[in-house]
Parts: sequence; structure tokens; C-alpha cells
Amino acid sequence: MIKTATNLYAYRELMMALAWKNITVRYKQAYLGIAWAVIKPLMLVLIFTLMKSFIGIDSGEIPYPILTFAALMPWIFFQEAASEGVNSVVGNAGLIRKIYFPREIFPLTSVVTKLVELGINFLLLAGLMVYYQMAPTIYLLWVPLIIGYTILVVLSIAMVGAAMNVYYRDVATALPVAFSLLMYASPVIYPLTLVKEKLLVNQAAGEWSNILYTVYTLNPLAGIIDAFQHVVLRGLPPDLSAMWPGMVLTLVLLPISYLIFKRAESHFADVI
Amino acid sequence: MAIIEVNHVTKEFRLGALHSFKQSMFNTLSRLRGESVPNRPLFKALDDVDFKVEEGEVLGIIGHNGAGKSTLLKMLAQISVPTRGNVKVHGKVAPLIEVGAGLVGDLTGRENIFLNAAILGISKAEIKRKFDDIVAFAELEEFIDTPIKRYSSGMQVRLGFSIATSVESDILIVDEVLAVGDLAFQRKCFDRMEDLIKRQGKTVLLVSHNIRQIQRLCNRVIMLNHGRVNKEGAPQAVCDSFYEQSDEKIKASTALAKTRTDTSGEIELLELHLLDHNGQRADRLSYDHDCVVNFKIRVLQSLDEVTFGFGFHTTDFLYLTTHNSEEQLHIRHLPPGEHEVLCKITGLPLLPGVYSLRFGATAGQAARTIFYGENLKHFQVVGDVPITVRDGFFALDAHWAVDDDEAAVIPIISTVQA
Repeated sequence: MIKTATNLYAYRELMMALAWKNITVRYKQAYLGIAWAVIKPLMLVLIFTLMKSFIGIDSGEIPYPILTFAALMPWIFFQEAASEGVNSVVGNAGLIRKIYFPREIFPLTSVVTKLVELGINFLLLAGLMVYYQMAPTIYLLWVPLIIGYTILVVLSIAMVGAAMNVYYRDVATALPVAFSLLMYASPVIYPLTLVKEKLLVNQAAGEWSNILYTVYTLNPLAGIIDAFQHVVLRGLPPDLSAMWPGMVLTLVLLPISYLIFKRAESHFADVI
Repeated sequence: MAIIEVNHVTKEFRLGALHSFKQSMFNTLSRLRGESVPNRPLFKALDDVDFKVEEGEVLGIIGHNGAGKSTLLKMLAQISVPTRGNVKVHGKVAPLIEVGAGLVGDLTGRENIFLNAAILGISKAEIKRKFDDIVAFAELEEFIDTPIKRYSSGMQVRLGFSIATSVESDILIVDEVLAVGDLAFQRKCFDRMEDLIKRQGKTVLLVSHNIRQIQRLCNRVIMLNHGRVNKEGAPQAVCDSFYEQSDEKIKASTALAKTRTDTSGEIELLELHLLDHNGQRADRLSYDHDCVVNFKIRVLQSLDEVTFGFGFHTTDFLYLTTHNSEEQLHIRHLPPGEHEVLCKITGLPLLPGVYSLRFGATAGQAARTIFYGENLKHFQVVGDVPITVRDGFFALDAHWAVDDDEAAVIPIISTVQA
């Protein structure tokens, strides 16, 4: 594991160069350029806010637009980094067939690329906080840790997905469907507090309520989004009780995903 | 110590399409139940290939299409792994497997240099230092801030080659890259290759269909055939044997080509054969050795003033030479019946290759054609040919001199030059 890490450190320049290429190429001939990185979450915030006025979602004391924007930031980062990671190996077939370097560079590069776009969204978040007159708290220091954890979640999907996608392109096709389902299973449109209230306080599903809540929080994104909103907007530490099932799952899946990727790696050039 | 060791490497591919996800699941299920699953047939791209490369050696790899050359290079560059056997490389490998792999159309030349350098493992500091050289070598100073999708294909290749050869590595793997750009640029590429090989003492693996290049640059050549090492050794011997094999192939494929004959009905060509310098019938003749062309004809009607002629042409009907009997053989009268005509050639000047024969006969004062045929017989010329006369169809008996006392001339040393 340490060997892999030092090995990857040696390739940091390559990762930076590839990430920089991804970003430049994407926005080079686009008039709005990198602004597209913020347009997507903004549009979604707009639609969700509009929707909320029909169905009524209780967002607590936090204004709904900024609450959902803070949910969309980690969600979009996760979703785009994972799907780009899954496509990264097949998308770089030309390089795979010609030049050797550790193949995990590709999914990692996708993560780096999306981190840049996430960074841009932080500027917008800051703007929104100023607008809603919300002051940041000391708990903001949790943000790097939460994002680090999100990256691990992304990698545990991206690596196995990228390897499988080389053999079966079904993976890349199925992914958007899976993600749009997962978004409804994550507290993006609604806050986690609603789920918590329904299941833990009201025991809405009877004796199954506690188990159902654990199952819900097995989705790492549930804990991540809630924690992000906590530390940025609510001025609270992350709610670990909502995070541990997802963490356990990630810690189990990540090594498996990495091993599958490494095993498949040597055949990429032959199969792709 | 050998810098590259290739130990009994076999690489197999399954023929046919990859299974669909459904089919794979099905097969796994069958396997779990203990039933046998029909396997797709295997194809051996490399079959027990075994050799070593010493440091500073320039090894050429030749072979027909599909002989396994590129597969072998991929193993050496760690892109692909052998099915059996192993490859050990002690040193940094700079892959030139394909020039321009990883160039991105939307980026400018400048951006591409930095990106491609990172891909090839050159550090940022190093590439900054070499940037001007790379641009100058590629002759792209004016266009360096233009997206390379606007470049001509030649410009892209020049850029790719220029970046790739600036990698500092112990081993250089070159796959058909010297055939890039126009002649002037090819010349520059060649000089750079020569510099890397002769002055910097790099170990180079060169794959090319340009056998002449291989012969000049390499000090050892391996010929692959259907994934096996067919011949290995000194460039001259291996290359000659490669030429011969190619010629055999050409001969085999053209043997069925139709002969074209035209006759007035007064004469028939019964048989045509060649005798080699030992007087044996053969369809392989030796360069610079004597041989005989022998025609057997049947005359149907009595003929006067007959002249015969024959010639050599290439398989694509380029007439190389002809000779007719007019001055040497004055036949005033040729009665009906079978006759044998022969023509003796002293020191066959045709260079190794595949050629064909044509034959004609005229009769009467007006020399009207009574028989003409071409593509009548294919034959192959083999033999050792000095490097000075490698190209073309004929050897030229020529002698070189230089009219300059200051030119340092070392007699009889084969030099490497483009």
C-alpha cells in the first residue's frame, strides 16, 4: 500500500498534466468556459427550489436554496468523478495501447479533475453564504476530511467500474441510470434530518425503523452530504451516527475494488 | 549483463469476438455446474521467443505483417504481459511505439509538449530546459501556439518524434517511426537516431519494414515468422534471407498470374525453362552467375528469316531488358517441326528479386510478329549482393573517387548514412 502511494507520488506530474488537459480540452472551445462547472448545480438548485414550493420540504432554519446547493456540491463531485473515473480507462484507449504507466492514474486523474470544479463551486458557496448572511464556523476545518472520504468512495466505484468497463461496456451505460436512482436515495433534494425524524423519532416503519435507517446510511453519500451541510452551514460537527455504516462499507469495498483493478490491469491493452 | 532478457515468451490471443456479459455469466454458470464451456480458438502471436539484448546493442526486428513484431515490442514496453515466459528489462524504456500517441488535437503545440512529456515521464524542469530544442527540431516555431488539430499530419508527426526522442532513457524502442515526414525531415530523424545509437551508446530496438534501414543501423537482426524467431544473427545474412522469403511469397502469389500470348498460328511455344550455372533446370538463379534461357518451339509452317527475342520484366510489367538473335543468329529458313533455341547469359546482372520472362519471334523480311508472350515464367534471383548496389534491378559496375586531398578517406569501411 505504501509502495503504491510512493509510486503514485512519482507520477504526480503526469496526473496534474492529464487533469489539466481534461479541464482545458473540455472548456477550450466553449464560450462560457469553466463557468459551466457552476451552471449545472445552480440550475439544479433553481429546479429543486421551484419543486419545493409545490411539495413542501422542511429545510429547518437554513434557507432551502443554500441547503440544497451544499448537498449538490459533494453529490455532483461524487457522481461526475465516479462516472468519469469509470470511463477513464476506455476513454484513454490510445494511451493504454501505446505507453505504460500505472493504470490507476486514469481514475485518479478523473478525481483530480473534478476536485478543481468542486473548488470553483466553493467560491459560489461562499457567495451564497454572504448573501444569506451566514458566518463560517471552526467546523469548516472538517471539509478536507469529508472530501477525502468522498474521494475514497469515488475510487471504490471508479476502479472496479473502470476495469469492468474495459470488458463490458454495459457498465458505462448502466451507470447514469444507477446514479439518478442513487440521487433520490441520498439526501440531496431533502435533508437527512427528515429521514432521521421519520425513522428514528417517529419510528414510521415500526420495529424495522432503526434497521431501515442503518440501511439508508449504508449509502456513504447520505453521511457525506449531511456532514457537509453540518460543518458548512449548521456550524455543527459531522453526525458520525449517520456516517459509520457507509464508512464500513467503503473500507470493505475499496481494497476489493483496487485488487480487481490491479488484476485486470495487465490485460487492458489486449482487450480494450 | 544483458539489459533486456526475453525468456521463452509466448503470447496467446483468443480468436473471435469478446463474449457479451450475458454469455460470460452463462459460461460461468456452466463452469460452476461442472460442464465444459466451448473455448474460442487460441492464436499464438508469439511462440517461445527467447533472446537477450546487451547494453549498447542495436537490435533490428523484421518480419512480415502479423509476424508478431509489434506484440513483442508491447511486451518490452510493459504495455502487455506474456501468457507464458517473462520479459526482464533493466533500465528505463522510452517507448516510441507510435509517434504522437497522446497528442491532443485541441491543445496547442506548446501545451502538447508539456502534456506529452509528462506522459513519457519527462519531468517539468527537464522539459522546460529542452523546450526550445524540441520546437526547433520539429521546425514549428511559428505554429507552437496553434492547436495541433490545425497542423498538417506531417507537422504532428514531427512534433511527436521530436518530443519522444528527447526522453532520456537507456533503451529506445522504435516502431516504424523513421518513415515520417518529408525526405528532409526523415534525414533529420535518421541523424538523431544515429546520434543516439553511435554517440550516446543507447540500446535500441528497431522495428521496420525498411530492411535497408535495419541493415544499416543494427548490429544484430532477428527475423520473426508467425510468432517464432526464424533467423537471428548478422544483419546482412538475416536481411538477405528475409528478402528471399519475401520473394518466394511474391513468386507464389504471381505464379498463377495469367500469361499473355499472341500467336499467328505458325509457331507454338512448347516449353520454356532456365538452367542455372550448374546446368540444372531451376527457377532460382544466382546473381552474377551464368545461366541459360531455353525455349522449345514447334514450327507449323515453314518460316523464313526468323528472329527470336526474349526479355526480363518485373512482376508488374516493367520491361527491364531484352535481347534478340538478329545479329548473332541469322536463320534464313526454319522447317516445320520441333526446335530448341537457347540463349546463354554471362554473369546475370539482375539483383535479387522476382522477375518474369517474355519471348517473341518474328519472321519474313518485314519482321512480322508470329509469336509474342509475356509473363511466361517467373523466376527468382538470389545471392549475396554488396550493400552498394542494394536498390534497383541491376548492378552497376562503378568506382568512386573524391577529388579533394583534404577529405579524410578511410578505404573500405561501411558507413551508416541515410
